[in-house]
Amino acid sequence: MRFAASLAAALALLTGCTTVEPYQRAYLARPDMGFEPPVGIAKALDKTYPAKEASSGVGSVGGGGCGCN
Amino acid sequence: MAATERPLGALMRAALALPILAVPARAGAADVREIGFSLLGYRESHSLMKISEPILWATIPFADTWEIRASGAVDIITGASPAIVTNAGGKPVQTITGASISDRRKTGDLKVSKRLDDWTLSLSRLISKEEDYLSYAWGAEAKVDLANKNTTLVAGYGRSNDRIRSVDDRELDGHRDTKEYLFGVTQVLSPRAVLQSTLTWSRGKGWYNDPYKTTITFYPDSSVPGLSLDLRPHERDMFTWLTRYRLHFPQARATLQADYRYFRDDWGIRAHALELAWSQDLGERWSLRPALRYYTQSAADFYSPLIARPAPALLSSDHRLAAFGGLSPSLRATWRGEAFTLDATLGYYRNARSLKLGGAASPEFETFTATYVLLSIAHEF
Repeated sequence: MRFAASLAAALALLTGCTTVEPYQRAYLARPDMGFEPPVGIAKALDKTYPAKEASSGVGSVGGGGCGCN
Repeated sequence: MAATERPLGALMRAALALPILAVPARAGAADVREIGFSLLGYRESHSLMKISEPILWATIPFADTWEIRASGAVDIITGASPAIVTNAGGKPVQTITGASISDRRKTGDLKVSKRLDDWTLSLSRLISKEEDYLSYAWGAEAKVDLANKNTTLVAGYGRSNDRIRSVDDRELDGHRDTKEYLFGVTQVLSPRAVLQSTLTWSRGKGWYNDPYKTTITFYPDSSVPGLSLDLRPHERDMFTWLTRYRLHFPQARATLQADYRYFRDDWGIRAHALELAWSQDLGERWSLRPALRYYTQSAADFYSPLIARPAPALLSSDHRLAAFGGLSPSLRATWRGEAFTLDATLGYYRNARSLKLGGAASPEFETFTATYVLLSIAHEF
């Protein structure tokens, strides 16, 4: 958990390191600047890789499992 | 589109995104009603699995501060899956039983969000049903915008209750409960760069054995082979660190997307996944997104294609628990109209010993390839 604590500390340092005003956010609002693909694409692919690998994790909670044999 | 070309449109998109999130998970997510349909076609090499999956989804904001997201899908699965690992031919290989698989997985999820000034609270529910697998999950998330919406913190808690059965063993009734904890930060770095980092820790207890996997080992000094079912620990702690970075290049009218995920668990598995994508505008309506995903993992402590003597208490020859690497290129084309968005994605997937990074790959791991096509249409209204 030392790794997690170090990471959390590094992330905390990022907080407040810059200020971008609302009128400067045109590029940030582009669809390709979002972190998730369109819903249908995300749903289709979120079981594709985990079904063939031993790891998983998509940055959310509450996702259910599947047989995926 | 670049702001220099359509400044009003870009500013409107920015304005729409502001009320709910410092960083839009999806541009205009604040007030856009959207409904969509996607169709996935997935096919593995050597006539293994074929999956078709239609997906219907919708995002509906209402009463100014509420939003509902829902989706439903059906996986139509046919084919076969490696079931036995045996060294009958001299070295351990995966074999496929004569029985073919034909199954349908039905899944649906619902997420309700409520905005309270800088806070957004969400509850989610997911149900997934197969003939031999049933999963109920729910999650709760709290998100807060800080520093003039330049920083977003999120904390989440989730639980899932899975029930495992087998079409080969009607007596099997396995249960597994999993708790998940999440903490994440999204930070605007500049007017054209943003970073998100999320830590997830989950602890599961219950049935992890794969009821369809068997290991058979022949010994040179015995005429009686050893046989073992899939035997895994009854607990699993998993830690995932996912970091995603987006950087827009206005002159090139393109965006770099970089995702890195580190995974480790108490089964001895360490995994890295890195995906780099380049989203390139082509005119006002079209964009292309070539992407390359690299993956590498170490083997589980109890993974073995052979049964040692004396037989170990834990043993799995499941190739997914072996040490290997993977490479997955994909290409997505997107067309954006006034009210409709169309996406078409073509992807290829290859797992192989030679793609393992650092340390030796499992020598018996057999190269696996798959292709997928994904078509999607979304309508904003």
